[in-house]
Formats: sequence, C-alpha cells, structure tokens
Amino acid sequence: MNRKLPLSVFEIVGNPLCVASSDGQQVFERLEAALKEERNVTLSFRNVTTLTSAFLNAAIGQLYGRFSEEKIRSLLNVQDMEQDDMALLKRVVETAKQYFRDPQKFDQAVRETLGGR
Amino acid sequence: MRFALPQIRHDQAGFEALVYLHGQAKDCSFDSIDVDMSITSWLDADMCAAFGAILYRLSENLNTVKLTNIRANVANILSKNGFLSNYGREKIPDRWGTTIPYQRFDVKDDRYFAGYIENEFMQRSEIPAMSPGLQKKFRESIFEIFSNAVLHSQTEMGIFSCGQFFPKRDRLDFSVADLGIGIRRNVKENAGLDLAPEKAIIWATEEGHTTKRGQIPGGLGLKLLSEFIDLNDGRIQIVSDDGYWKREKGGISTARLSWPFPGTVVSVEINTADMQAYTLTGELSETDIF
Repeated sequence: MNRKLPLSVFEIVGNPLCVASSDGQQVFERLEAALKEERNVTLSFRNVTTLTSAFLNAAIGQLYGRFSEEKIRSLLNVQDMEQDDMALLKRVVETAKQYFRDPQKFDQAVRETLGGR
Repeated sequence: MRFALPQIRHDQAGFEALVYLHGQAKDCSFDSIDVDMSITSWLDADMCAAFGAILYRLSENLNTVKLTNIRANVANILSKNGFLSNYGREKIPDRWGTTIPYQRFDVKDDRYFAGYIENEFMQRSEIPAMSPGLQKKFRESIFEIFSNAVLHSQTEMGIFSCGQFFPKRDRLDFSVADLGIGIRRNVKENAGLDLAPEKAIIWATEEGHTTKRGQIPGGLGLKLLSEFIDLNDGRIQIVSDDGYWKREKGGISTARLSWPFPGTVVSVEINTADMQAYTLTGELSETDIF
C-alpha cells in the first residue's frame, strides 16, 4: 500500500528561513528518492517564514528535469502554505516546466526580441 | 596614488564616482592608494557595499588603501555601520539604530546572511514598524538579491552588503555588491547572447530569462524583485560592468558608465510607509500548483 510520506521542510532545513539554494537541494534529494520509489509525498511548509525562488527552484523546480509533470502532479502534494507562498511556488513550477521543455527555443525567442551589442 | 572622492549619493552619479575610482586605481599593485575624502560631504551608507567591494578588490592587488581627511558627519555614519573598522577606526554604537552594518560574506554564507538580516534588521526594536506583509516582501527581496549573487556571480572575493534607514523620509536603502563576472559576461557565456552591458541587465531582469544551466532552473529572482519595487513605489538600481539600469514607477532607464564596476551591485530603495497588505486571498489551492 502506498501510504503518504510526510516530509517537513522545516525539519529538513532546520530553519524557518528557507532561502538558500543549498538548503533547497536537501529537500530535493528527499523528494527525488521518494518519487523514484513511486511514493506519495506530502510536503509541509509549517513554520517556514520565508521562501525564495532560489530555494524553491532547487527543492521543487529541479524535479521537472527528473520526472514527468504527470508523475509530479500525481505523487506530490504541498500543505501549510500561505497564499503568497503558493503563488511563488506556482511561478517557480511554471518557469521550471518552461526551462526543461525547450531551453534552446527560449533563447531563440530572446535573440529575436533583443538587438546585439 | 591619491584620489579625491566626491560626495556619493545613492544614484547614477554616485556609482559613476565609484567606478571612476576603480578605473583609476585598478592597475595599481604594491602601491599606496590614498582616498582623500575631504570633499566627500555626504556618503549614502548603503553605497558602502559598492565602495567596500572596490576597495577590497584594490587591496587584493596588495595595495595599501587609506581613507584620509574624512569629514566628521561621514566618519560618524561609517563608524556606526562598521565600514571604517576595515580601515583602522573603532566601531561606534548606533544609538538610533538606523544602520544595517556593512559586512562581507562568502558565497557559502547564505545562512549567515539570513541571520544578519534577522538580527541586524528585522528583530531590532529601533526600526519602525513596517506592515507584516511589507516586512515579509522586503525580507524575501533581500534574500533574492543575495541568492542572485551567490548563484550567478562566480565571485571568489565575496559579497558585500550594507543598508540604512531614513526614518524622516520613510525610506530604507539596501545594497548588495559582488566582485564576480558581471551580468554581461554571464549572459554571453551561458545564454550565448553578446549584449551591451545595460541590455544584458534588461535581459536578466525579465521573467524566465536565466543564465542558469544544468539541473536547477532559475529566472525569477530579479523579476520578483522588480514587481515588488513597483508595488512599493520604491526604486531599484543595478550596476554591472559598465551598464547602469534603474527601475522606478514601473519605468526603466539605462545608461553606460564611464568605467566598469568589477562585478555587480543591486541597490534597492524601499518605501517603508507602504501599508499594502501584500497578501493574496483565496486564489490558489494546494491542488492547483503542479
């Protein structure tokens, strides 16, 4: 039976300030190991006071380079997040999907909109 | 060599004066560099981050850097924020608690930096109350700036920060400087775009544009910062290489400086009287994210 695996961001980082990419990496490693084993994960942000895109990119954005969107959607849940933190995570997720989908196409679009030196 | 430093305000002219100093002295080694501050009638304290970075870079070439003839009003503030402790003066107590100390960090010091912001700023009773929403956004913004330097600068000489609160003007200035490769070179090497330095800054501040390569995506930090500054009616300035970029009231202006800065400076000006809640209600559910 695939019981939900509870993970606490606060416990992994040991700090309410979740701002460093290196701390996000610790969270990522646990999520990656769990998703590889097809485990359902509930990631709690209880007691976390500050999040940055750098932290969330490492912790969660990076998952989109390893797993399909469908798999992440079916296995990963978050809880205990404030609305503005959820909005930040949503933007990190959308940016990560774009990043891993086609980075070269993205660069090309930039070349077309910006002149050279 | 001797260099006369004019007044340094938190603006383009202030950055011009600092990069001019660096341009004049950057090739010196085993030399004595005297920065004569007799005409420095004012120095916005947060500019210590960029000033300190330049002086640190010059002392890396085994130059002896001295700050001389410092006016009393300038010496007072630079002693309170600890800047002059690097140049032989005692730190003096900050009775009004309006300084955020000058400090140099290594790129691995993320947590130490977080503690510095909490202890030296957020938890100090002297700093007048900002709304909880503004405090949270301000804290996030500062960490985004620091993370940006950690992730992109490739600096081996550290990251420098300093801030100042102006109670009568409801304004808080905070700057972070690094001695890394700069945005133009970063964009060129990692995104393959050979842009003018000020255009490279424009590029780097747009959503989804990132010089990150590899497994961890990026491309949001400076965009988030710009959005917050627009809502707050504040100002953000970025200097990198010889590019200057400013955003205020939703508009951008750029310029080319006469000399390059040996890295990147991000400098924000926050309106502390901003009473917006900065909280979203009921728009997103936890099941909508992935």
